[in-house]
Amino acid sequence: MQASSVEIRKVNKFYGPFHALKDVDLNILPGKVTCLIGPSGSGKSTLLRCVNFLEEYDSGEVRIDGQLIGYDAPGKKMSGRKLREMRRSIGMVFQQFNLWPHMTALENVAEGLIRVRGLPKAEAQERASAALTKVGLADKMQNHPSRLSGGQQQRVAIARAIAMEPRLMLFDEPTSALDPELVGEVLNVMKTLASEGMTMVVVTHEMGFAAHVADQVAFMEKGELVGCDTPSRILHQPDDPRIQSFLRTYHERNSF
Amino acid sequence: MDFSIFQQYGPALLKGFANTILCWALGTVLGMALGLVIALIQRYAPRPVRWIVQAYIEIIRGTPFLVQLFVLYYGGPLIGLRLDALPAGLLGLTIYGSPYFAEIFRSGFRAVPHGQIEAARAIGMTEMTIVRRILLPLGLVSALPALINFSIILTKETVILSIITVPELMYQVNRMSTETFRYLEANLVLALFFWVLVETISRVGRRLETRITKHLIERT
Amino acid sequence: MFSLPVFLESFGPLIWAARYTLLISFLGIGLGLVIGALICAARLSPYIALRRFAAVWVSFLRGVPLLVQLLVFYYTLPVIGIDVPAFVAAVVTVGICASAYISEIWRGAIAALPKGQSEAATAIGMGPRDIWTRVILPQAVTMSLPALINELILLVKASSLVSVVGILEITRASQAQAATTFRPLEVYIAAACIYLAINLCLAVLGRYLEHRTAV
Repeated sequence: MQASSVEIRKVNKFYGPFHALKDVDLNILPGKVTCLIGPSGSGKSTLLRCVNFLEEYDSGEVRIDGQLIGYDAPGKKMSGRKLREMRRSIGMVFQQFNLWPHMTALENVAEGLIRVRGLPKAEAQERASAALTKVGLADKMQNHPSRLSGGQQQRVAIARAIAMEPRLMLFDEPTSALDPELVGEVLNVMKTLASEGMTMVVVTHEMGFAAHVADQVAFMEKGELVGCDTPSRILHQPDDPRIQSFLRTYHERNSF
Repeated sequence: MDFSIFQQYGPALLKGFANTILCWALGTVLGMALGLVIALIQRYAPRPVRWIVQAYIEIIRGTPFLVQLFVLYYGGPLIGLRLDALPAGLLGLTIYGSPYFAEIFRSGFRAVPHGQIEAARAIGMTEMTIVRRILLPLGLVSALPALINFSIILTKETVILSIITVPELMYQVNRMSTETFRYLEANLVLALFFWVLVETISRVGRRLETRITKHLIERT
Repeated sequence: MFSLPVFLESFGPLIWAARYTLLISFLGIGLGLVIGALICAARLSPYIALRRFAAVWVSFLRGVPLLVQLLVFYYTLPVIGIDVPAFVAAVVTVGICASAYISEIWRGAIAALPKGQSEAATAIGMGPRDIWTRVILPQAVTMSLPALINELILLVKASSLVSVVGILEITRASQAQAATTFRPLEVYIAAACIYLAINLCLAVLGRYLEHRTAV
C-alpha cells in the first residue's frame, strides 16, 4: 500500500476574533499513526479537518506528499476540481458516522466508487462488499444504517473510506459517540489498518489506543500544539505541566 | 330547496371538475418544480441573484392570488402576454405556489445534517452529485409532510380561477346558479364537495407520506 | 407599454379603498379571535359532544374554500330571513373562517407548553383555574402572537375575495379603475403594491414580536 506523508507548517485558523489554531507545526511520516489528544475545544478536530481542507486554514501550509492542499499559492484557493482530486486519496471518519440514511451499507460504500471513481456498478459493489467484509460486516451489507448499532455504523463508515483506497486516513473522535461496549470493535478495525501500514491521524480520547498503536502522540491545548513525541514520552513522562494536568484529570475521571 | 338541477348540469359540472383537477395537478407539479429551482438558487447562487429571488418570494407571498391573476390575465396583453383563461390560470397557480414550495424545500434542505454532506465532500463528490444523491433525497423526505399539506391548500385556491373565467368547477357552478337562480343549493353542494375532497386528499396524503418515507428511509 | 402616470394616479382611489380592506381584516381577526377561543375551549373540553362539534367546525371551515364560504353565507342569510349589508356578511364570513385557523393556533400553543409546567403548578397547590389564568394562558398567548400576525396577513390577502360580493375594497376598486382607464396592468400592479406594503408592515411587526417573545 502507498502511504502519504503530511506536513503541517505554521497553520493558523481564526473564527472571527477567536484564534483556533496558533502556528501549528506537525510532521507525519508515511505509514505512521499519529494521535491528537487534548481537552475539548483545544483545536484538535479543527487541525484534523484542515488536513483535507473541510476546514479552511487562514495561513500556513498543509502539504500531502509535498503538495499544498486547499491553495495553489498563499491566498489563492485551489479549484474545486483539484481539491476533489486530492480528497479522493484522503479517507475521513467522523464522530457522528455521517452515513447516508437512505442507502444500505453496501450502497453507502459503493456510492463514492461509482460517483467519484466512476467505476461500473458491479465492480463498485464487489469492492464495496470486500471492504465491508474486511471490517467484519459481510452479513450486514443490505441493512440501512438505522438497522445497525453505532459500532457497526462506524465500521461501515470506515469501509466507505477505505474502499476509495486512500493513502491517508483521518479519524475525528471515531469512538466518542459510541456506547462503551461498542468501542472495542471499532478500535480493532483501526488497529488492523495501522498494522497494514496506513498513514493515520486520529483525534481521540482513548489513551489506551494512543499508548499501544500510535507512533507519535501530539498534545494540543487552546489552539497550540504543546508537545509531540512517542506515546511513552507524552503519556508517561510528560515534561510540560499542561500535559501533566490533563493526564491527571483524565486518570481521576477514569478511576473508581 | 331543489337539487334536481345537478342532474341537468351533470356533464358541465363533470367537465368543470376535470379542469379543477387538471389545474390543481399541473399547477402543483409545476409550482413544485419552480419552487425547487428557487430553493437551489437560494442555496448556491451568488448573493445578488439570491436577493432578486428573495424579492420575488416576498412579492408573491405579500399579494393576493386574485390580484396576481388580474395582473397576469388582464394586464398581460398590454405587454404582449396574451393567454387564454386556462393557461393563464395554470401559469398563475404555478407562480403563486412557487415561493411557498421554495420555502418548504429550503427548510427540508436545512434539515439534512451537515455531516452527511461533509462526508460526501470528504470522498471528493462534486456539488452536483451531492445535490442529486444526498441533498435531494434526504431533503425531500423531511419536506414531504409540508409539501403534501401545501398541495392540499392549493386545491382550494383553484376556485379563485373561476373569477378570471377559467372553466373549472366553481365557474360551472356559478353559471348553473345564475341560469337557474338556485344560488344557495349550488354553493352548498359545492362547499360539501370541497369538504369531502379536501378531507379525502388529506387522508390519502397522510397514507402516502408514511409509505414514501418508509420507502426512502427504512425505519425500525 | 407601462405608463407611469397611470400607475401613480391609480394609487389615490386604491389607497382610499384600502380602509375597507383593513377594516375587514381587523374586524375579521377580532371576530376570529373570539370564536377561535371558544372553539379551542370546546376542543379541549371534557364533553365529547363539544369536542366533536369543534372538530367538525374546524375541518369544514378549513376544507371549504373561502370564496365558496362567502357565497354560501351571502345566499343563506336572505333565505333564513336575515337582511344585513354585504359588508357585515363579509366580515362575519371572514371571521368565522379565521376562527378555525386561530383555534388551531391556540391549541398548538397550549400543546407546546411542557407538561411539567402545569404539574409544577399543581405541586405547589394551584387550582385548575389559577393554572389556566396564571400559567398556561399567558404563555400560550405570547407564544401564539407571531402566528396570529401571520394569520392577519393571510386575512388581508383573503379579503380580496370579498370583492365578488361587491364590497369596494382594494381589489374591487382596482377592477372599477381598470374598467374606466383601460389600463389594467398599471392599476392591478398598483393594487398589488398596496397589499405588499400593508403585509410588509405586518411582517415587520410579526418579526419584532417574535424576537421579543423568544425565550
